[in-house]
Order: sequence, then C-alpha cells, then structure tokens
Amino acid sequence: MAMKMASKPRAPLVPLGKKRCDDPRIDYKDLAYITKFMTPQAQIQGRRRTSFCAQCQRQLKQAIKRARHLGLLPFVG
Amino acid sequence: MNQYEGMFLLDNQVVRADYKAAKAVVIDTLKKHGAEVVAARRWDERRLAYPIEGRLRATFLLTHFKAGPNAITGIRREAELDERILRHLLLAVEEIPATELELSAAEGEDFAPPPPPADDAVDREEPLVVGTPDAVDEDVVSEEVGVGIIDEEEV
Repeated sequence: MAMKMASKPRAPLVPLGKKRCDDPRIDYKDLAYITKFMTPQAQIQGRRRTSFCAQCQRQLKQAIKRARHLGLLPFVG
Repeated sequence: MNQYEGMFLLDNQVVRADYKAAKAVVIDTLKKHGAEVVAARRWDERRLAYPIEGRLRATFLLTHFKAGPNAITGIRREAELDERILRHLLLAVEEIPATELELSAAEGEDFAPPPPPADDAVDREEPLVVGTPDAVDEDVVSEEVGVGIIDEEEV
C-alpha cells in the first residue's frame, strides 16, 4: 500500500523583506520605468521577476496595457 | 464634478497645419459636454509602436478637466467619431498634479511646437513590385524550366 507523501511546504515566490514597492506611483506615461518590467518580446514580467506586491503588480499591468492602447508600447515586440 | 485625465492622440497632419486648431478640437469637445478644462498641453510627439489608422507618428495632448460622470459618455463618443483624434484614454484621478498646471500655463498662447517629421503616414498606395515586369517574367520562366529538367533526371 502506497503511502501518501506529505507535500513539502513551498517557498514564497517573493522572499519577504525583498519587495521593491518603494515608489508605488506607477504611471503609463513613465515609459522609462515601466519598460524595465517587460521582456524583450514586450511581455509583462511576473511577480517572481518584478518583486512587486500584488497591488503594485496590478498597477504595473494596468499601466502597461494603457500604454499599449495609446501606441506607446507594442503588444508584441 | 469629478476630476479626469485625458490623453488624446492627434493626427500630425492637423498639428502640422495649425497646432492651436488641433488643440482646440479637443478642448471644444470637452467644453461642449460641460467639462471645465483645467490644464491642456502637448505631452509629446513620437513614433507609435504600431500603426494607428495608417499613421506611424502622432502628437499626444494631455488634458486635465473637471466634469460630471454623465459627460464622459458623450466625450468618448465624440472622440471616437472625430477623425482628427486617432485614439483617446480617459481616466478618473483623485487630484490634478500641480506640475501639470505649471506646465500647461508655461505652454501659453504663443506656444509653437516644432513641426512633426514627414514620415507619419503609411504609404499604402505604393505598388509592391520588385524589379521590372519583364525581368520578373524571365526569372519565373527560367526557374520553371530548371525545375522541370531536374525532375526528369531524377525520374
């Protein structure tokens, strides 16, 4: 009879104390800042890479999508 | 009355003809629907990441205004229908930044932006033909003959 293995606790994606939400004013017009969190193919990086909290990551996502709508950033790089 | 931020993409052909008239297109649209324009300035003129209505470049006009919630629907509809406005983005903001008021006041009445470069239009009417028709026909014929010979030898 196979015993059920206890699942190991997963490490948090973003280590505590390393969040970088120092300046939460993410703006779609600040292209120099928000393009830091995009891949060369113009994809939005995930929280694991950006180290943002959930709220700032949502703001970043919204800012990038607004910039794409206005033709400031490409949909596909 | 809520406070809004509006970004409007203007056709560079209109801006090149008269910047004040192009700016008035947006401001008149806002005022027509009862908005109080607090600040309006040319944010930038830049190349677009992808063509919008056949334009590769556009002038960005950043506005801040106060309006009732019912006015936004009319402003959106008017901006959609106006061909001089390529695209728009309206956002509700909690407060209008003081820097925007200063920059808008600094633009003034006599502000004349540098004329946009001439490569803002995608030339769709240019025929996509490489080489003369005679030369193209000869190449096609020679390739067809060559392929036929190779096939016969292989068989």
